[in-house]
Amino acid sequence: MRKSRNRAIGATVLAIALLASACSSGGDSTDGPTIVIGSANFSEAALVAEIYAQALEADGISVERKLNTGSREIYAPALEAGELDLVPEYVGTALTFLGGTASGDTDATAEALAETWGANGIAVLDPAPAQDKNGIVVRADTAADLGLTKTSDLAAHNGTLVFGGPPECPEREFCLIGLTDVYGLQFAEFKPLDVGGPLTVAALEGDEIQVALLFTSDGVISAKGFVLLEDDLGLQPAENLVPAVRQEIIDAYGGAVERVLNAVSAKLTTDQLSLMNKQIGIDGLDPDTVASDWLEANGLK
Amino acid sequence: MMLLLAQVESQPFFRWDWVFRNLDDIWDRTVEHVMLTLIAVTVGFVISLGLSLVAIRWRRAYSPITWATGIMYTIPSLALFAFLLPITGLSVLTAEIGLVSYTLLILIRNIVAGVDGVPPDVLESATGMGYTARRRFLEIELPLALPVIIAGIRIASVTVIGLVTVTALIGFGGYGFFILRGLGLFYSSIGTTQIIVGTVLSVTLAVSVDLGLAATERALTPWARKKVPA
Amino acid sequence: MIEFLGEVAAWFTDPANWTGINGIPNRMWEHIQMSAAATTAAALVAIPPAVYLAHHRRGGVLAVASVNVARAVPSFAIVAVFLPISIRLGLGLGFWPTFLALFFLAVPPIFTNSYTGVAGVDPALTEAARGMGMTDGQVLRRIEVPVASPLIIAALRVATVQVIATATLAALVAWGGLGRYIIDGFATQDSVEVFAGGLLVAALALATDAVFSIVERRITPRGTGTAADDVTRVAA
Repeated sequence: MRKSRNRAIGATVLAIALLASACSSGGDSTDGPTIVIGSANFSEAALVAEIYAQALEADGISVERKLNTGSREIYAPALEAGELDLVPEYVGTALTFLGGTASGDTDATAEALAETWGANGIAVLDPAPAQDKNGIVVRADTAADLGLTKTSDLAAHNGTLVFGGPPECPEREFCLIGLTDVYGLQFAEFKPLDVGGPLTVAALEGDEIQVALLFTSDGVISAKGFVLLEDDLGLQPAENLVPAVRQEIIDAYGGAVERVLNAVSAKLTTDQLSLMNKQIGIDGLDPDTVASDWLEANGLK
Repeated sequence: MMLLLAQVESQPFFRWDWVFRNLDDIWDRTVEHVMLTLIAVTVGFVISLGLSLVAIRWRRAYSPITWATGIMYTIPSLALFAFLLPITGLSVLTAEIGLVSYTLLILIRNIVAGVDGVPPDVLESATGMGYTARRRFLEIELPLALPVIIAGIRIASVTVIGLVTVTALIGFGGYGFFILRGLGLFYSSIGTTQIIVGTVLSVTLAVSVDLGLAATERALTPWARKKVPA
Repeated sequence: MIEFLGEVAAWFTDPANWTGINGIPNRMWEHIQMSAAATTAAALVAIPPAVYLAHHRRGGVLAVASVNVARAVPSFAIVAVFLPISIRLGLGLGFWPTFLALFFLAVPPIFTNSYTGVAGVDPALTEAARGMGMTDGQVLRRIEVPVASPLIIAALRVATVQVIATATLAALVAWGGLGRYIIDGFATQDSVEVFAGGLLVAALALATDAVFSIVERRITPRGTGTAADDVTRVAA
């Protein structure tokens, strides 16, 4: 009795040991440390992060993915603390998050971001032409019924419409705060949904909200026949995509990382980004494949 | 079902291509899920065994112990993680403290009930044969209590496996990671595939562990096997 | 830590958090309403067949199997699964996926534990009743159900607490309730809101558990001495 019991215990311990050893730890590439890539928790950010990852891997650099890390409040500190090495960022909102003042000028905003974040050891590389701004969106029938073409048109309907967007929207200068301060808008209710994702789209389609925050590069706007209201008072700053990477990583690779990522940024346009978003969000293609195809088509892989 | 198929048109409903492409990820998450569960149940068992010994030795301690662990059990897991976040942060410790706290009530109840269920005449014979209290506990009471204790471990394990999915919200999740990601993509079949994969794998793991522990119980208690009727 | 708790106290005393759609009264009420509705619906669907089957001593395997299988399915998965189903059925987000998920979550434990309660009634009691000339229906109504009622209430207690817990996750499918504080607070890294949400949910779950326990004790018919504690429970 004792023997069989001991055998059972021994077998269990062995199994646990085997399991523990199966946990592989990330290895380093021959050139430098493994680059840990994170991203905001929405599909476009994860897509761009995946593009960065595959481009670096194609250059022989070892990469570890921790995509969909969370909102900026989560991944920005993680980047500064060294838990992440590289994240895709949007120059306008990133600068504002760090306490700076963003404008519609891409170069000025990007430079200001590089300066501000550089003080914390984060290098900001070349901005891509691709931009993704916050977009105020309504359904086609709503736009027709209420005569809406510009965001300021919404002021005439204060207090009657329900607005839906990411849970952090009420705290964001370019979201609810800006809409209130700059446009003087007042909504009947704000519904926290997701970050320009399917929950927001479904809520808009089902008329649970009448006004939604989506993203201008999101293919779903045109695919669903929504109307993007013009940002006539210029609330939204430049929002070019840019790699934010720890200075240590730049130094460790002596220029390779910069070269690869800048090459990627140079080819990334808003139209192409929108197309890729549509392929993922609407056509249901696999983000990894979409990223791979784009890199190959642009000679980056 | 027909509505589902009608909506999806060109895409197949379940994307096997996604599965095959992400086998590495799936394996990583399997390891994460299993490790989180293993640690929680093991630590939970050790703590429960200790508390049970206290409760057996001092009967009056049983009530407050079950009261306290009962409260931890009743508090919803998301709330518990919410309490722990400001203290222990986005760490494995937070996840584990939460998970372990759900095992305590079940395990303590079952360990005590198991030991209590040992027939008193068996205990008397053991004492009569010269067993010390300690030897009697380890060699007679615990083994005889084993079926009830393992039943408790089964329930605790299956419960923890389910709760591990909730840790997806604090950066872990095991299979829950796929469920959470699928929630963010549910329009496309890639999203629904991930929800299905996360769910099916969780259930499979739970059922396997349950059956595995049941088999272990049978192996460890040969005297409990039913005799074949003549 | 003291400072943090001070901030939490400040959150609770801030009048802004007591008004409007995102105020504590509204979210609390939403949460209670939804939990009550889902559990009641599940009880209406699960208790009659359970009582009937237990009375006729049929379906024991189903009773045991249903809760074992149900326990293996994570409640998070149930909530997630019902979102695309709900959308494709044209039921939208928020209310329906939450209600359906909670309903299906509550049915197995209510079914199984009600069954166990009725099936566990001391046969001596039912035999004596039949001996006194009671019909089948009378035995059921006057003996089995009353004797099993503490266990049935225990089943409702377990199910309701689990529903309350799972409803916090429904914030992820655009529903409201107390989970909103936890999920939204997490998105904005507002640890005070997260903590406060946790307190509210925990308070609701514990209060509900306590109320049901009192009801259980009150309706336990004197002389049966059945322990309602052995009911197996599932947490979310």
